[in-house]
Amino acid sequence: MKTARVIFEDGAHKWLAIVRDSTRPEFIIDTNEYLVISDGDAILLDPGGAEIFPAVFSAISTSFDPRRINKIFSSHQDPDVISSLAMWLEFNPEIKCYLSWMWQGFIPHFGGGADTFVPIPDNGMDIVLGSQRMQAIPAHYLHSSGNLNFYDPKAKILFSGDVGAALLPPGDDNLFVENFDQHIRHAEAFHRRWMGSEKAKRDWCTRVSGLDIEMMCPQHGAIYRGADVRRFIDWFSRLDIGVLKS
Amino acid sequence: MDNLRTAGESGNELRRIVRINEEIKSVVATAFKINLMAMNAIFLAKRAGQSALGFGVLSNELRRFATDLQQQMSTLRETTYGSVSTVTSLLKQARTSRILNRTRKESDPAGRVIVDQLLRQRDLSTLARSKEQLAALNRRLSQMIADTTQLVELGSVLARSAKIEAAYGGGFSASLMQVSSDFERTIGDIQHSLEKLTKHHGDSRA
Repeated sequence: MKTARVIFEDGAHKWLAIVRDSTRPEFIIDTNEYLVISDGDAILLDPGGAEIFPAVFSAISTSFDPRRINKIFSSHQDPDVISSLAMWLEFNPEIKCYLSWMWQGFIPHFGGGADTFVPIPDNGMDIVLGSQRMQAIPAHYLHSSGNLNFYDPKAKILFSGDVGAALLPPGDDNLFVENFDQHIRHAEAFHRRWMGSEKAKRDWCTRVSGLDIEMMCPQHGAIYRGADVRRFIDWFSRLDIGVLKS
Repeated sequence: MDNLRTAGESGNELRRIVRINEEIKSVVATAFKINLMAMNAIFLAKRAGQSALGFGVLSNELRRFATDLQQQMSTLRETTYGSVSTVTSLLKQARTSRILNRTRKESDPAGRVIVDQLLRQRDLSTLARSKEQLAALNRRLSQMIADTTQLVELGSVLARSAKIEAAYGGGFSASLMQVSSDFERTIGDIQHSLEKLTKHHGDSRA
């Protein structure tokens, strides 16, 4: 059973992390979903796969009416990221799904019609949420060829998709990274294999270094906060990527 | 429970339609064979001349029969294609309903109310519409199989008559007899395939 935990709140601006599904079957990868609410406007970041929809829906419904989710952000095209789209559309057929222009013709295989999708250009774009302006940040080739992060300048939170993801061992259920050196061991093999472009990595490190980030939220594993965000960027910039595990 | 049943029913329905499609393919192949056989018979009757006039008329009829049969089977294939797409949509809906039922079970009372509302709407609209569509397709398929069976009956009568006419073929009698026996056997094969087709189609209606 997943739980929705508030990781940021300032008046009508709020971030919920939907994490740790202990009842999830072992053959399905664990994912984090994030709901950002601002002045009643709500965007769900990487809503997850169809099979975990019940867990995500039920966790959200404990603190927010899921029918009021009117935007979805899909960092890339993987099924564990967005295959639940059709289920969310059942509850609100007016949902707009923001995603890289590259996946506009692919994601409709999971659901949605011509009016559902808002293509994001390669250099990113602003997404209005309530009275705030969020930013879709380019993270192409990390790991998908059309890959985007989501930055909230008010909360100073970066949703980083697969960047920063860690495949944690069973029982390691911390919401936040508590010991960076121990945690990063569970992220290393994943980043070496799944991140394919050295140049894209350097570009991303430079780009996010210019942002004011207090929390970096990946799609898998624990959330980096405070100094651990900088630690991660430095670690990643030094990591040899695009290699098979030896 | 109803949704689980729908998923199971839709899966069986899809397998049944695949079997029907395979039988249709086999009838189409045989009908093509009959067309060639009828053309051969027409040439043979021409060579036999006056002594095979009756056989020549029947060969022409058999050729027309083969063309009608091919036409009928191609319409039948179109109908089964329509059934495949309706059943696929039913399967998709059944999966959605299965996930919604799980969502209902896992949700707190507030979430359950929301899911219940949606489930009620879905039961009244989409699912019912697709089931109705499938029932209409099934009725059409039944009618077409019955029409085809009737057509093949006619083919069988033609083949038997050709056999009788072959006896009056003079010096060509043996070859004409051979051709008409081939017709009879091939139409027998088609009848056998149609019986299987009727059985597979009947499986869903039992």
